Amino acid sequence: MSERLLILLALITLQACTSVTIDEYKASPSVQIEQGERVVVLGRRHSANYETEPDLITCIAEVLGKDNDLIQVVSEREFVDALYPWFEPRTAPMRVRDMNRILTRAEVAERINGYDIRYIVWVDGNTETTSSSGSIGCSIGAGGAGCFGFGTWDKESDYEASIWDYQELESLGQISADAAGTSYMPAIVVPIPLIARVQKNACEAMGAQIKTFLNPQDIVIKQAGGSK
Amino acid sequence: MMTIKRTVVLLLLAGLWGCTNNLTVVGDFPPPLIHTLPKSIGVLYDDDFRNYIYTEKSEDRSKWIINNGNAQVTLFNRVLPVLFNHVEEVGQIPSLDAPAGTDLVLHPKVIEFQYSVPRETRFKVYEVWIKYNLSLYDNQGELIADWIVTAYGKTPTAFMQSNEEAMNAAVLVALRDLGANLSLGTPRVPEIKAWLQNHSASAQQASLEG
Repeated sequence: MSERLLILLALITLQACTSVTIDEYKASPSVQIEQGERVVVLGRRHSANYETEPDLITCIAEVLGKDNDLIQVVSEREFVDALYPWFEPRTAPMRVRDMNRILTRAEVAERINGYDIRYIVWVDGNTETTSSSGSIGCSIGAGGAGCFGFGTWDKESDYEASIWDYQELESLGQISADAAGTSYMPAIVVPIPLIARVQKNACEAMGAQIKTFLNPQDIVIKQAGGSK
Repeated sequence: MMTIKRTVVLLLLAGLWGCTNNLTVVGDFPPPLIHTLPKSIGVLYDDDFRNYIYTEKSEDRSKWIINNGNAQVTLFNRVLPVLFNHVEEVGQIPSLDAPAGTDLVLHPKVIEFQYSVPRETRFKVYEVWIKYNLSLYDNQGELIADWIVTAYGKTPTAFMQSNEEAMNAAVLVALRDLGANLSLGTPRVPEIKAWLQNHSASAQQASLEG
């Protein structure tokens, strides 16, 4: 009985594979976040066809702030509400030089400065299901219930992060993350989902890359620590 | 026999009601970070505006009943006290016989409400468009400006999020867009800009002569 339970648990916790490709363009080689400087990660929401998912932005912010004392992240919701209506989908600056337009208002500049913001990270993109096939049928009767069939679907993530230096008002670079994965759902009495966590993996890869971008010293220290 | 029939009818009605997406929009809005205009304003929320309910009448679409009245009044009550130095609610448009106690009076009206759900488009977003007609009067009831403001909001579908929660989020984004338009756009409406300039100049002139 316990063996069956273990097999079932193992099947449930199985995940399908996802491939992630990260590209980085760094315009300035001398980026290094200092103690007391803070980062805000914001999602682009101006496109008519898609919307950068708020949970992806939260996920990237969590990855950035995790396992280090240096990078402090201001939450997107808190920042956008405090700066309302200057970072709404229709009013947000699209290019770094557009920041000058809103910073002419002393109260806006003062509010951003109050957060000790050094870097603004804009993330644009989304995750979508590109194709799906198969079918699963479930039935219930006097003798019991069960499902039979097989389903599969592909998901693709395409995100680009632009990193701005708020103090110098310049664009420091871009990081793009492309991820793809296929999920499977075989059903033999019980459906067993083998889910490819495409968005989650894109988030983790992009978050880790932004972390390295802002704090390259951390990698040097970790490598030095590892070589001892 | 009669009781069984009644029960069946009630169950059918309950089933039909279950197919209807019934939403009362709930949410809060942040105060805008803007300059305050040195003028007082009265705002007239008529019953149509205060109790605004959109009911989908098309038989080809899923049934939606969206009560947006309270949320849009909340939005106006959040933005106007920051945009003007004093705000009060009024019960009617002022006239020569019954002038308002404020410099201006605003009368907002909803003239159009549209939405789309993921089932109708190939995009996995809920979208909402609301068109408002804003009429601004001076304290004697003379029309200063009459302009249209559009509000647009969308929200992605999310796992474990109900239709109502997603639509609520889309309406709130649209109302935030309206708030942004109202906060930044009102002083830029040409007729209002001219009125403000004339009245600040005449006020300065009067104070110099006084």
